[in-house]
Amino acid sequence: MAFFLETLIGGLMAGMLYALVALGFVLIFKASGVFNFAQGAMVLFAALAMARFSAWFNAALGGDSLVIANILAFIAAGGVMFVVAWLIERLALRNLVNQEGATLLMATLGITYVLEGIGQTLFGSEIYSIDVGMPKEPVIMFESLFEGGILINKEDFIAALIAAALVAALSLFFQKTSIGRALRAVADDHQAALSIGIPLNRIWVIVWCVAGIVALVAGIIWGSKLGVQFSLATVALRALPVVILGGLTSVPGAIIGGLIIGVGEKLSEVFLGPYVGGGIEIWFAYMLALVFLLFRPQGLFGEKIINRV
Amino acid sequence: MSKIIGDVILDLQNISLRFGGVKALTDISFNVREHEVRAIIGPNGAGKSSMLNVINGVYHPQDGKIFFRGEERRAMEPHRAAAQGIARTFQNIALFKGMSVLDNIMTGRNLQIKSNLLMQAIWWGPARNEELKHRARVEEIIDFLEIQHIRKTPVGRLPYGLQKRVDLGRALAMEPKILLLDEPMAGMNVEEKQDMCRFILDVNDQFGTTIVLIEHDMGVVMDISDRVVVLDYGKKIGDGIPDEVRSSPEVIKAYLGAGH
Repeated sequence: MAFFLETLIGGLMAGMLYALVALGFVLIFKASGVFNFAQGAMVLFAALAMARFSAWFNAALGGDSLVIANILAFIAAGGVMFVVAWLIERLALRNLVNQEGATLLMATLGITYVLEGIGQTLFGSEIYSIDVGMPKEPVIMFESLFEGGILINKEDFIAALIAAALVAALSLFFQKTSIGRALRAVADDHQAALSIGIPLNRIWVIVWCVAGIVALVAGIIWGSKLGVQFSLATVALRALPVVILGGLTSVPGAIIGGLIIGVGEKLSEVFLGPYVGGGIEIWFAYMLALVFLLFRPQGLFGEKIINRV
Repeated sequence: MSKIIGDVILDLQNISLRFGGVKALTDISFNVREHEVRAIIGPNGAGKSSMLNVINGVYHPQDGKIFFRGEERRAMEPHRAAAQGIARTFQNIALFKGMSVLDNIMTGRNLQIKSNLLMQAIWWGPARNEELKHRARVEEIIDFLEIQHIRKTPVGRLPYGLQKRVDLGRALAMEPKILLLDEPMAGMNVEEKQDMCRFILDVNDQFGTTIVLIEHDMGVVMDISDRVVVLDYGKKIGDGIPDEVRSSPEVIKAYLGAGH
């Protein structure tokens, strides 16, 4: 029982981290109807900026105040993501108002390569580490309940808490504010949004900026786990099944999808793995996504799209 | 009691609009007076929608001047036009399909919501009062358009005639100076057309909103407009009160073809 719970909790926390990356996809899709292929590149770019800024500020401050250096680096990296959002709007999206979804998707594909290239030109292509003082040692909990207790990875636990807080804040923002309503309006119809006085360009900068900050948080958490390197961009691929499962238009969907996939991966690996020779963790999420595409293409919480003929 | 038609609120002078080599509008001048219902009619492809898009700021004419409330307007973006008090509806309904009727109409109030984001997010204090105030105004519009029963329904599920009404409601929520209606009666049955006519006249009457409308259906236009502009192939071929326009030989020719 303790082992099962341990696997479950591990899966939930891993799922929260997937959800964090998936959230970036959902945000941009909700607000501009674009499937942002560049989300992974944004995570990498943000993490690179964070890692380098942190190292530079730390050196500049004499190396004894890592916390201050990290805070400064976070602000600077946030600023960089704002500039990125602004440039994307100015150079790419502005010229593509009212275009088909596929056109916009291709544009984000282009943005991916540009971001990856510029990121490595500016910040170098070595492997960096981000040290934000995440506790690495695991803790043992519920010793009184189970024999031997349950082993919990503290780092994952804190990361999951941060992700949950971010998600809660974003849900409030979308549901309760006039800008949130404007964002949803823009996603539905560009022209109509303009006609009621919503400045499309500014909304796009805002939403890409928010997605940039989400990418930054994801980049920091994943970066401090795995190290900042080129392969970080591929965590976005891990998040793809999450969005398919949860639905592209739903913030809670991204979370629940993330949790289901996280838990499913771990449980299937541990309990089914031995029968099929292991390695389930790698393909489980994609299998699940495939099944969903067959039977419920809008995902668990996505809006069902009905076209009148 | 006849209503009082005010001064010129929108004045278009010698407007020409080209798309590459295609002349959409050629040297068109007309004006709109406060509180009137002004119609733009013409056969298919006459440039009616282009004209509306020029007023709304979607297209920027190569030549000509636009004066709105006495001030000359340079090339302007649609969201600026909206901020100045020009609202519009769309020929092929452009509603926010995923949102409820209530939310759709609330978006029309977006420009007027001033309180800060953080306060809105936590639904607190002045932000809350402000939201409630706007909600109250939106509820009035919903009552006015007789769509109380579908307030919470996602607009994507509504029949066509009701969607048109929601589209009108969203524009009204902006409390515009000028309301542009792009074929408000297109694709409707007789009953829906009558309803829509009644709403247009009521808006004009009760709120004093100036209305510019494009319409295909000559009969409807002649009944509800104060003055009518007729376009054909991007040129103005008639302008005046409905009776004058109806008897103009050029207009008859454009609509029925030569020889009739």
